[in-house]
Formats: sequence, C-alpha cells, structure tokens
Amino acid sequence: MQTAEPKSVKRIPTYCYNCVSGPDFMTVKVVDGVATEIEPNFAAENVHPAKGKVCVKAYGLVQKTYNPNRILAPMKRTNPKKGRDEDPGFVPISWDEALDTIAERLKATRARGVIDESGVPRLAASFGHGGTPAMYMGTFPAFLAAWGPIDFSFGSGQGVKCVHSEHLYGEFWHRAFTVAGDTTSSQYVISLGANVESSGGPCAVTRHADARIRGYKRVQVEPHLSVTGACSAEWVPIRPKTDPAFMFALLHVMLIEHNQDELDVPFLRDRTSSPYLVGPDGLYLRDAATRKPLIWDPARNIAVAFDTAGVVPALAGCFPVSGAISVNADDAVRDMGNVEGVTAFSKLVEHIGKYSPEWAAGICDVPAATIRRIANEYLEAASVGATTVIDGVTLPLRPVAVILGKSVNNGWGAYECCWARTMLAVLVGALENPGGTIGTTVRLNRPHDNRHKSVLAGEDGFMAQKFNPTDKANWVARPTGRNMHRTLVPIVGNTAWSQALGPTQLAWMFQREQPSPDMPKPTLPDVWFIYRTNPAISFWDTPTLVKTIATFPFTVAFAYTLDETNYMADLLLPEATDLESVQMIRVGGTKFMEQFWDHKGVALRQPAVAAQGDTRDFSWVSTQLASRMGLLTEYNDAINRGAAGVSPLKGANYDFSLDPTKEHSPETIWDAVCRASTTSLSEGRETHDLEWFKEHGFYTVPMSRLEWYLSPTMEKMGLRYELPYQERLLRVGRELGNRLHEHKMSWWDEQLSEYAALPEWHDVPGRWDAALVNAGAKVEDFPLWLLASKSMQYHAGGNVGIELMREVSQNIRGHSGVIINASTAARYGIAEGDRVEVRSHIGATYGAAVLAQGVRPDTLVILGQFDHWAQPFAKDLDMPSLNTIAPMSLELTDATGSGSDVVKVQLRKMEGRMEGVQA
Amino acid sequence: MTRYVTTIDLRRCVGCQTCTAACKGANATPPGIQWRRVLDIETGEFPDVRRTFLPMACMHCANPPCEEVCPTKATTKRADGLVAIDYDLCIGCANCVMACPYDARSIVHAAHFSYGDKPLPSEAMRFDPARVAVSMKCTFCVDRIDEAAVTGRIPGVHPEVTPACVNSCISGAMEFGDIEDPESNVSRLLAGTQHFRMHEELGTEPGVYYLWDQS
Amino acid sequence: MNKPIKKMPDLVSPRQQRNWDWRAAANFIAGGAGGGLLLFTALAGLDAFATRAAILLGLVLIASGLTCVWFEIGRPWRALNVYKHFATSWMTREAVVAVGVFGAGGLAFLTLAPSLVFLSGVLGLTFLYSQARILAANKGIPSWRHPASVPLMVATGLAEGAGFLVVVAAFGTSATSPWILAGLIVIVSVRAWIWKTYLAGLTVGGAPEGALRILNATGPRFVLVGHVLPALLVVAALAGMPARAALSVAAGLLVVAGGWVLKFILVRRAAFTQGLALRHLPVRGQGPAGPATKPGWKTIAGTNRV
Repeated sequence: MQTAEPKSVKRIPTYCYNCVSGPDFMTVKVVDGVATEIEPNFAAENVHPAKGKVCVKAYGLVQKTYNPNRILAPMKRTNPKKGRDEDPGFVPISWDEALDTIAERLKATRARGVIDESGVPRLAASFGHGGTPAMYMGTFPAFLAAWGPIDFSFGSGQGVKCVHSEHLYGEFWHRAFTVAGDTTSSQYVISLGANVESSGGPCAVTRHADARIRGYKRVQVEPHLSVTGACSAEWVPIRPKTDPAFMFALLHVMLIEHNQDELDVPFLRDRTSSPYLVGPDGLYLRDAATRKPLIWDPARNIAVAFDTAGVVPALAGCFPVSGAISVNADDAVRDMGNVEGVTAFSKLVEHIGKYSPEWAAGICDVPAATIRRIANEYLEAASVGATTVIDGVTLPLRPVAVILGKSVNNGWGAYECCWARTMLAVLVGALENPGGTIGTTVRLNRPHDNRHKSVLAGEDGFMAQKFNPTDKANWVARPTGRNMHRTLVPIVGNTAWSQALGPTQLAWMFQREQPSPDMPKPTLPDVWFIYRTNPAISFWDTPTLVKTIATFPFTVAFAYTLDETNYMADLLLPEATDLESVQMIRVGGTKFMEQFWDHKGVALRQPAVAAQGDTRDFSWVSTQLASRMGLLTEYNDAINRGAAGVSPLKGANYDFSLDPTKEHSPETIWDAVCRASTTSLSEGRETHDLEWFKEHGFYTVPMSRLEWYLSPTMEKMGLRYELPYQERLLRVGRELGNRLHEHKMSWWDEQLSEYAALPEWHDVPGRWDAALVNAGAKVEDFPLWLLASKSMQYHAGGNVGIELMREVSQNIRGHSGVIINASTAARYGIAEGDRVEVRSHIGATYGAAVLAQGVRPDTLVILGQFDHWAQPFAKDLDMPSLNTIAPMSLELTDATGSGSDVVKVQLRKMEGRMEGVQA
Repeated sequence: MTRYVTTIDLRRCVGCQTCTAACKGANATPPGIQWRRVLDIETGEFPDVRRTFLPMACMHCANPPCEEVCPTKATTKRADGLVAIDYDLCIGCANCVMACPYDARSIVHAAHFSYGDKPLPSEAMRFDPARVAVSMKCTFCVDRIDEAAVTGRIPGVHPEVTPACVNSCISGAMEFGDIEDPESNVSRLLAGTQHFRMHEELGTEPGVYYLWDQS
Repeated sequence: MNKPIKKMPDLVSPRQQRNWDWRAAANFIAGGAGGGLLLFTALAGLDAFATRAAILLGLVLIASGLTCVWFEIGRPWRALNVYKHFATSWMTREAVVAVGVFGAGGLAFLTLAPSLVFLSGVLGLTFLYSQARILAANKGIPSWRHPASVPLMVATGLAEGAGFLVVVAAFGTSATSPWILAGLIVIVSVRAWIWKTYLAGLTVGGAPEGALRILNATGPRFVLVGHVLPALLVVAALAGMPARAALSVAAGLLVVAGGWVLKFILVRRAAFTQGLALRHLPVRGQGPAGPATKPGWKTIAGTNRV
C-alpha cells in the first residue's frame, strides 16, 4: 500500500546472513529513499533451495535500520568506573577522535609486543554467532590479519549454544562441521533435539516441508514438543541428557537383533575400520615392519596389512595373530606375540550387547517397544542395497538420517551421541551417501568452501587429521590463548576457527579462578573488540560474566544499540548495518546446516538506503584503523590475499589487486572482489563489477550434487572412515593425560575419561546432581530440568530490540515466559500467566508461566536468550533466561570443552500476575 | 468468472510467522494489528500431544457475513471473489468485526507506531490516516491483484501480483489463484489433496482451503 | 525485576469481543426498552399525561442509546453513511426505523392522536426487532447468532417496556389497571421461558465454554431478580397489599433492571468470539491425521467429528 504516489520505487537485491543457516536472498523495497519492505528475491528462485526467500528475521531489518534506539555517532565513555550499576555516561564524539583514540591505544599495545607476559595475545576480539558477523564486518578481518595474533577465546556462547561436539567429531570422522540429513531424498529421520524448523533456515524448512509431502517420517526425540517436534510424525519425550542410552539401544537392535547381512556389509568392510584387528590391549594389531593395522584375510587365513591388495577382509570374528605389535600413547611399541585379534566390528557388537532397549527404557523413560520399533523402522527405511544415479554415477541410496540438536550435542554425553549417530549411519552405509547423514561444511580444515579438498590421506588408511600435538616434544604446555584450546583439546586443532571452538567458557572462568598454580597468570587483553555479540546475555552465569567484562581495561564495541556488554565499553563505534553497507558473500556450494545447493556463487550486500546518522561502512572503519595504525600495506596485502572473504584478488588467470600503499574506498575494494570472484567462479569466462552486482545481486554457476557426498571421494582415495573403533582418540587421550600429569595438572582428569575407543554409557544426568552436591546444594531442592530452546524469530538475530519480532513471536508458544507442563504447574499451584521464579543453585530468573502438555513433567523450557537490563526495548520485555542461572562449571565441561545448555532448578510461584494475562 | 482463493497446506506450515511479518511490511499495519497471523494450537494430553500451526486471515468468503451487516456498503464483495473495504465510507461501527467468525477484522482508534508516538521513516511514509478508526483486514493484497488486471500477469503465478504472505512463505504452504480455472495451481492442488474450509457450517463459503492430507 | 509486561492475549480460544463496549451495549439496553415501551404505550390506553410521559421516556431511551453508539463509532461525522445498505444490513434498517420512531413518536407526543400513538408503537416494536436482528446477524459471536437470541432480545425489550409502563402508569392520574399488572406477569413469564429455551438451545447447539459459563452463572439470579421477585410483587399488589403503587413501581423496575443486566452480559461479558476449528489435524509426513479440534468448545459442531 502507498498513501501518496511515490517518485521512485526500487527493489534492491541483497542477502541476509543473520544466522548460519543462510545466506538467503532478499530484496529491499525502497520508496523515495526509504526502505519500506523486505521481499523475497524471485530472481534467485531457480538457484536457491528456498526459492529466493528469507525467514521472518529478515523482515525486521527495516525496523532495524530506523530503530530510534540506534547509536548513530561514535560515543566515548565518561564514567571511568564500569559495572552494571555504573552509568557509562557515553557522549558523542567525532570519528576522528574515536579512530585516533583506538589507533593510539593499539600502537601503544603493539609497542609492548603483541603477546603479553603470560604468552597470550594482547588484542582480543569476540564476534557472535557462527562466523556470521564476518559477513557484516566488511574488511575488518583484513585488519585483524594485518595486526597478527589475536585472542578469540572470550566466547559468547560458543560451545554451549551450538552443536559443539558435532563440530569437532563430525569434522574428524567425515569432514562434517555441521551434519544434516540429505533431506532432498530422506525417508526416515531420527531427530534428537534438533530444531531445524526453528534454526535450520529457509532451506531446511523448505526441504523438510517437501519431504513431509513426499511422506518421509521424522521422529522427534526431545523432552519438549518443539516446533520441529510439532512438524514431525512422532514425538518421543525422552528424559533430558539420556540420549546416548537411547541411541546405544538403537544400535543394539540393529547389531544384536538383526542379522549382519541386513547391514551394509560392503560399506562396513571397505569404508570403515570395522575389519581392523584389535588386540587384547585394546589397540590395533599392527604389522611389525610397517606399523599398518592388520585385517584378517579369510581366503588365506592370515592377518595382513589393511591395504593389502585383493583382500576381502573378515568383518567379524576372532583370529589368531602372531608377530604383531601395538602402538600406544607416546609411541610405546609393544610386541604382542601370539594373541587373539578381534575385528573392530566384533568389538562393537560385544560392546553394544549390554545396551538393550529394555536397559535404555528405564534410563530414558521411553518404552523399550518404542525404541525397538524406531530402530526397526530406521533399518527398513535404509533400504540397504538400493542405488541411485547422480550425474551418471551410481551411488548407494540410503534415505535415513539421524540429526542431533544443541544440548544433545554438547557437554557430557555428546561424544557418545555423536559417535552413536555416526555409527547408525555407518551400519547401513548411509554416511555421506545420497539420502543419508551428510556433512555440509568444514571449518577446522581447509578450504572452507570445498570439504572434498580437505580430505587428504593420513595414517592407518584414514583421513589426515590436524590435531593439536600431544607428544612430549610438541605439546603446547604454555597456553597461547586464554582458553588453552591447544593445550587441552587436541581434536579442535589450531586453524582460524579452532580457538573460538575451544572451551570458550574457560577463558572467562580462568579470569576468576586459576585451576593450577603453575599455569601462567591469567591476563586481561589490553584491547578487546566486540561486534554483533552480547556475551553478557548469551553466555552463562551472566551476572558474574558482567563483572568480569567490567574489568577489561579498554573495550571497543561496534555497536548498534546500547546493550549489556557494550555498557562496559570505552568506545562505541556505530557501523552502517545490514541495509546500509557493502559486502560480498559466498553463496551455495555446501555450507552450514542444509545449505547445500545445486549452484555455487557469490552475492552482494549493498546499501539499499543511506546510512543513518553518522554511521560508517565497516570497511571504511577498517581502512581508517589500518591507515592510522601504519598497517595499511599489511591490511591491503591481506585483502589482496582474500582476507575480506570470497576470493583472492589475484588468481591464475586474473589480477585485480589493490595498490597496497593507498587507502581504498569500500566501493573500490568490493568492486575488485566482485571482479575477482566472478572471474574465478566462471574460470575466466565472465567478469562482473560492482555496478553489475548492484543490479543483479548475485552470480552463480551450476554445481554437481556429487559434491554433497563425501563417500565417493573417500572411495576414490581408498580411505576409510575412522569408525567404529576410536583407537586414535584413545591414544591421544592417554598422551594428553601423560602431558598434563607431567605438569601436575589433574583438574582435567575427568575430561580425559571421555577418550574411549568405544563409548560407554555413564550416568550423564547424574553429573548435574553431583555438581549440585559439590556446590554444597541439595539435589532434592532442584528437582526440575531447565532447558533452553531456539526460536526462529530470535535465533542469532541480535534482534531483541526489534518491535516487529516481539510482536510476531507472541503468536508462538513460549515467547512470553517459562514453558511448564500443566500437571506440574498444577502441583505447584501455578496458573497460566502467573509470575514464577526459576531458581538454580546460583541464582534466579523470573517470567510468566506458559502452561503446556507438550513438555515433560520434569522439564521446564525457556526460549531464546533474554533477561536484558540495558538494551532499549529489550529491557522492558521481562523475559526469563536460562543464561542468568546456568553456572560455568569445570566439572560440567566435557573433553571438547563444551557444556550442555541445561540446568537443574526449582520452581516457585511469585506474588502477582503478569499484566494483561487472562486465566 | 474468477474467484481468487488461497490454499494453505497445514502439513507444510511451521508457524514461523514469516507471512505475518511480510504482511505487516507489505500493508504497513500498526503494531499489534495483524491482518494475518499463524496460530499455535496444542491438542491432546502428555505424552500424546500435537501442535498444529494454523494461518488465519480474512477468508474472502463468497457469502461474507461482514458484507451483509455493513450499513455503509464500505465492505463489498468483488466480482473476482475479494472482499474489499472502502475506508472512506466506513464509519467504524464494528458491526463487521462482530459478524466475522474468523476474527479477521480490527479497528484502531488512534495512530500508534512501533517505538511510541513518533513514526519511523518507514512508518511515516506509509501512514494512512484514512485507516484510522475504520475497519481493516487482509485485502489479499488487492493492489497487486488490480495490477494483474492491467499488466496481464497471473496472480499466484507471477510474484508481483501475488499476495505478500504467499510470496514470503518459506515452507511453500500457501498458493494463491483462481479456483474457477481448472488449470490454476490452486485447482490442481485441491484436486490432489484432502482439504476443508473453516466454519463452513456457517454458510460463509470461505475462500481459504486448508490442506491436511493427500487424496 | 517486578515490572509487568503486556502478554499477547490468548489467540487460540474464543475470547470476549472487544469492539463493542458499554456504549454499544447501552444502545441495546436503552433502545430496546424504549421500543418496548412505545409499543405498550400504544396498547395500554393510559391517560394523556401518562401516555405523553411514556412516549417521551421511550424516545429519550432510544435517543440516548443511539447517542452512545454515535460516541462509539470510529468516524462519527460520517454517521449518515449508515443509511446506505438497507438491502441486508439490520443496522441500516434500525437507523431508518429510528427516523420513523422519532417522527411518529414526536408527533404522537405532541398530538396524542391515536393513529400516531399506534404508529409509534408499531415502529417501536420494529426498532426493537431490528436491534435483535443486528445482534443475531453477527456470525462471529455464537451466543448472538443463535436463532433464539432474536425472541430473547425482543422478549426482554418488551418486558422492559412493560416494566417501564407499569412505572409510568403508577405516576399517572388513574390507578394502574390490573390488566397491565397481569400483563407484566405474563410477559416476564414469556421472557423467562424464552431465556430457558435460549440457554438450552445454546448448550445443545454449542457455544464457547466461556460464554456458557457466564450465561449459566447469570441465569438463576436473572430469573429470580428479574422474574420471580417482580411477579411476587405484582401478585402482592393485585392481592391488595398496601402501597400498591410502590409495589408496582418496584416490580416494573426489577423487570427493567433484570433485562438490562441480561443485555449487558449478553453484549459484553458473554459475547465470546467463534474461535477456530480444524476438522482434521494435518498428516506430518506419515501416520494418521489428528482428530478434529475446536479449542474452547465442548462440542465440535460443524466438524465431522464430535
């Protein structure tokens, strides 16, 4: 609608990448220079799996642009005291003053050395959700690259709000930083706590909707009936944190109650370590000369090296082996003499024998018959033996998948879940095959845009892995980052993403408490940059976190509005945001979640409207900082190398490099990126500049669907998946233990227990009770589980201050308070809308009761992350948050450094009711 | 004859409110006023529970009770099936609001904006005083349908002339088109599915079809 | 921490209508009584003073009801647009009849010509009937659209008119005719019977539980105060108890009050919206469709399951 006839109406193509489930296409309708509407970009209908559409969050971007609470000029703090009760006294200053202040501070820091006396970087930076801020920060990554070492370990929820263990183990086992079902053809999906209909983005929503119409079955296993549960054929309300037991029982049914030939025997035999012989010491039996693991050749009745040509090894069985060796931690070689060698597969069968559905039923509060039925349905739907043809190549068709959500996939029990999930795929050959369980991207390995190229041959017939060293000579005893990721977490490696995936809560915890006196003294960063992140809300134990943040000496926040973290900042820099600045992003190929396309390419984010107030394009800010720091050449060199993302400016057949000695405008920089990326993508056939992109928005080239599946690549390279037996992890864990104990560090011993060759069930939920006891609390005082769940309206959107999101989210249950089972509420005398207190042993959070049947009686659920106290608009919502009352706890941190987003709590009715609530 | 209808596939809908937000953007409705919304309905008792997401808006009835009661002829039923409101005739008596069994209509008696009394630029530009204190509801994005008549494009096929909610839907739950045309997308979809219309027993002959299973 | 928030209303279940407030209710309350009074004035054959007083009261009641509505509508300066849809809109018809009521009633007040008094009575009844049909035409409010709501609204309007007539007659120069008092008993009996029929019909045919809860809670008090009590007072008056006039006035006012409370409850508190109904819950990939649902209703009329 339009009240007066406009002079000009334009539709500006751009992208939304507010969460990792994007990027997705959209257009901005601009009427006489004012952005009025977000609309899909139907020009992308045929290349984008979601047909050019964006999710509800993007529709808030108009309000985001014109929000009266925006910070529209650089501000400096005038109150030197920092704290929740200290008004920061921000006053506007010029960009010159702001940039010069930062440059002087950084120069002084640099003069003292980029690494401080404790061996960690003096400059720290924290960015929000899953790398998405990078797609809004222009060329700032080039500035960071020009600077040198930076500590990214002050997390804002990484490891506790993501599918952390999947990132690490997924990438280890099948180059799957995120794991998805191949929804385009799946017929049966077991979804444990995954919430793709909320957090999977338009591509996942579209595909799962298509799958429902096709008649696939999805079983949602989760303590509450989430949006995804609502859209599933079946809901299994499992007891919190007992998912490993459930999955072990599924494996049990398939391995013990079915014949071996119902499984995908060729896949197990040829693509996995199942035939590797394991000796009595639990290590592979290896050829004494070559150290290669042995397999049993039934034709000749001898053990041979795994890569012996022409051998069809025994999958199961126990065989006499003589003259073999085993290699333990720290390269301890042992002559094994005459021993029995058991195939890894037989070890698995033996191991899983004790985990029957009847055993799991009591733990999971799920009937054994249900577990057994689901396992049988899964096996049948796997259609072992079926094939499909993709681009002329015949591949197995295994239309079954198991997907895991946050809190199943992080913290204790997550290793077991990840292993069991991957094994469920392995048993039927569904791992990385059409229809099956597939990885979509890599982040700990390179290159990020092609996981197939990250597959290199390593030892023992497996992929090469880039673990942090645990051997005596190379173990990083002295941490290089404040969360000790290289020291404590071998599997996380040490590439650009590794630090932020290390145990990010440790960086915060160690500021308060040093676990070991002989570790270097914890230091604060001299300068801390923050952007699109609000750890004071989005991490745990936020009241304590705020106090820590207040101690940081110099914090520079790129700030949209005031929030609970930048309340402690020294400088606020307002950047031109989503609809006001220019940047390019890779689209398609295979990326996070269900972003695997039949095309790959690039898309432009461009100013649809003039930047509001005195906000500036992030690339301009970055260039200015580099220039004022005297790092211009290094900065431009980094851009030329491709540090701004998308593409290097110089390639085999093109050169659009920038003059490194000059300051370039954002338009000049991104024009070069436009040209370089199109030339590179088209292999020299086409070159498009910024002007072309401003009109067309994106450029793609077709991509074969074969790139979705890793198994053909593994087969081509003659490699095996490192499953089911985790000999490497066992050895690495032992080595890590040796190193830590050599340094008298015993506080990580519990985490070392996770390094098992075949994961055992242990009382995972009991860990939360034990933690209560250790904290001096009584278990019976905290009888309920509190879980956090994602909401599409808010997930990763940084949009709690957007009125539209508040309004539309109220249509969906749970966005007004705490979801409580109606019978539980009745027991506590709580009615709909009553104000309730949810209290853990460290604090309390408050909100309105939302009564439901679709939640376990022993479980409460809070959506999103709220409880704001500084951010305009958001601070008036009076919404509760799990983060306020979840402790950061070493004993609840698993070996990967992650924690589960769950807390044991008590519930109490408060006086009074929420205004406007009807009974 | 033409009758434009919407089909909503309940099997697909995920309750995301993208259509709700898109509608608010397309029609510049004030805060709290939703010409369409997706309801979240829980049925059953633990553990046998279902949640269903139900998009609701004006049903553009063939026999609209709102039109019957309207004393001013502000509400009319068009030849193409759309139920329209002439804001300049409406006296805001709310009789139509009471007559509608779908809770599709609303009246706002004073201007208000997302962040208080002062409109955002995007709100100021599109603030329409004619819509204050009169009855409002989903129009099926009537401007676009009217544009189709001029440009020859086909509503439901070409996005420029298709309602914003239908365009925005990320689960593909909604289709729009002419039910009188047996070849239209909606006719074909209805032929292959089981569906119902809400409150049909009231004789309203609604123009929104809810799909729930294959036929 | 204790700052209250505004929670969005429950969207799923039928809820009380929010668009017609006390001003709209006042139109039904006062206008209906006025229409009923005009009718009975035409039939009662009171003396000149009482007839004039009754006509004036009837017109004032109708006028004040319409004035309230004028203050309620969003665009009062366009109020004359109300005359545009005589073909189907009972609101238009009510407005047309209102012109006639004021014309005939005004002239009757001035002249007391029997034909004009009679005409104003007929038009008063027509006005009352139009109002009843306005309510019943609202398909969005199940407790209004029930077929028995028209006789109920007409009956209570008539009863209130009769009640007022008794009051006016008590202040007249001649004693209130026993026939009028007897008539009041008859008419409240009819109203009570229609109320019972209405409530039974609504319960059987289906209405939102919230509406039924409120109406059922109202029922006994309504019957006692608006019917039994005034009937007893009338019987007492007829039986020759002292203070016959006072008893009659009290009876009349109780009949009126009962009707007004009923209408306020009908228009405001028991006016629950239809809510929603799904004949089937969708198949989500595999498995059966879910059963029909109609939140806030006990019966699921209109769906193919009960």
